Amino acid sequence: MEGVMNSAIIISILATGIRLATPYLLAALGEMFTQRSGVYNLGVEGIMMMGAFAGFFATLHLGSPLLGIIASLIIGALMGLLMALVSVTFKAEQGISGIGLYMFGWGLSGLLYRLYVGGITSIDGLKEVKIPLLSNIPFLGPIFFNQNILVYTALALVPLSGFILYKTSWGLNVRAVGNKPEAADTLGVNVVRIRYECLIVGSMLAGLAGAFLTIGQANMYADNITAGRGFIAIALVYFGRWSPWGILLGSLLFSMADSFQSMVQVLGINFPYELAVILPYVVTIVALAISFGRVWAPAALGKPFQRGTRG
Amino acid sequence: MKKVLTLMLAVFTLLAFTAGCGTNTTDASKTAETAPQAKAEKVRIALVLPATVDDLAWCQSMVEGLKAVQKTMGEDKVEVVTSEKLGSAVDAGAAIRQYATQGYDIIIAHGSQYQSVLMDIAKDFPKTTFAYGSGFETAPNIFAYDPQAQDGGYLLGMLAAMTTKSGIVGIVGPVESGDAVKFNSGVQQGVAKGKADVKTRIAYTGSFNDIVGAGNLAKTQMSAGADILTGSSQQAVGAMRAVAENKGKYWLSTDMDQSSVAPDTVLAAQAYNWEKVVTKIIDLRKQGILGGQHLTLTFADGTIELKYNEKLADKIPAEAKAAVEQAKQDIISGKLKVELPKK
Repeated sequence: MEGVMNSAIIISILATGIRLATPYLLAALGEMFTQRSGVYNLGVEGIMMMGAFAGFFATLHLGSPLLGIIASLIIGALMGLLMALVSVTFKAEQGISGIGLYMFGWGLSGLLYRLYVGGITSIDGLKEVKIPLLSNIPFLGPIFFNQNILVYTALALVPLSGFILYKTSWGLNVRAVGNKPEAADTLGVNVVRIRYECLIVGSMLAGLAGAFLTIGQANMYADNITAGRGFIAIALVYFGRWSPWGILLGSLLFSMADSFQSMVQVLGINFPYELAVILPYVVTIVALAISFGRVWAPAALGKPFQRGTRG
Repeated sequence: MKKVLTLMLAVFTLLAFTAGCGTNTTDASKTAETAPQAKAEKVRIALVLPATVDDLAWCQSMVEGLKAVQKTMGEDKVEVVTSEKLGSAVDAGAAIRQYATQGYDIIIAHGSQYQSVLMDIAKDFPKTTFAYGSGFETAPNIFAYDPQAQDGGYLLGMLAAMTTKSGIVGIVGPVESGDAVKFNSGVQQGVAKGKADVKTRIAYTGSFNDIVGAGNLAKTQMSAGADILTGSSQQAVGAMRAVAENKGKYWLSTDMDQSSVAPDTVLAAQAYNWEKVVTKIIDLRKQGILGGQHLTLTFADGTIELKYNEKLADKIPAEAKAAVEQAKQDIISGKLKVELPKK
């Protein structure tokens, strides 16, 4: 009996960890594309809030979480377009415009909620989808194959992003634009266009990460629902060295630590709760500090592109 | 010469305007002098909230209390203005000072974090009544209100212990401080009293408003066996919503009755009756007492109420309800005293 309880607890910790990693994974993979093209978008948190609201609102009124997902992707794309307009076309300082976008997203999502919903309202969100056969595998089945569709999407996006980034010509262009935009430009790559595309794709994923919180987790909306997750996602891009697998590792490390500390608290294991709640952050910082090697970053990150000048 | 003329003209126009304004001011002050007599009965209340007016918890309970006051005393007798999302005491301080300058009679800063800001501001506005809570430190024009959250927690804990089937009661706490600790300690004592072998498991999210985090912590609590859960602060609705996903799992709410959102999940609630508290503050002010009192919310004066969800009445064993009602009477009569956590 004791042994069964233990394996059930471990399964619960790991399955929860995978679930908790999903919003970080989605938002960080999106931000990875954005930064790979040479733009850092600090507005992820605000885009997530807008995506969270859009997903919630569409699900509430149209009755389908899948339409909620689509709504969050559209809103994410619009927010990305706005960021691209400001930071690529108008060449505004990226850090400042990102913070502006964050505040805009926070304010607007709260306002729209107050105007069109108001009060705590719950929705029927995404349900867990058991994958036939795979979900029957002992131990691994309940951890990986009994989650909702956005969890699978996020996990599938890791190899997919890797493929797009390293094996397609578009991915090559993105990397070129983020490292040597002048060289890419001379070779006929449309730098502005690539950056627009990356900001839009990245923001769509941030919107999806927000929708995961409302329709995949909470099944409701509240002001500031993201509670800092967007900023953690940005940190995870650095942690993951702008690579999908690195981001997966960082997201899982952070979320597993979070899931583990929750269970430690719940089981009443004698451990100060203040230390427990900061455990995920400590683990991430320590891992970042001890990982060695030359830190590589897209060379043109943060620099607006101006044809005819050298970055 | 032309320039001088223009200048003279400008100066005279300006003077004329100033004179005009001067007369207007006198008129305005005259009406202002007569106005208070005509509207002497009208109480102007400003409310400053850390979260939103619709958080279905601490803040909303006060908003509804004030609405009830307006309804009872008459909309024309009580004016209420609200500023929300002022979690930072510094931002709240600016709003509080502004309300005081605008001449509001009673300014309620609905959070323990506002204590030191109020202590500072209240000195500059000796004729204004300030109130905040939870807290106990007062000043000549500051009331501190203080819900005895441990009492309701105790009753809910008893109810949970005598209703649970798994033998585990889970608490989804925000931050280990203040009211949350009081409430949780009450629940723990109540559970122990209700049934000796039922366990209480307490875990904190480390945040007051992360509803997603609270929902996830509730899921962890349930996967580890809890079938009756409770928790305080505005993030608690996230935990309640997670509980509502599961059949056979129930939630006990505090601050206000949350059964409207999860009618099949909320068994019972500890609800604060702010109407009575605010009415008392208004009455005291009318008697010339602007502050200086520590106002406790208790079952004895009806400022705390225990509400059962009628829809789920059959889920609570009769003996549990009887025992809880008896304990409530004992708390009211003073026979039972719920211990406060030792600091």
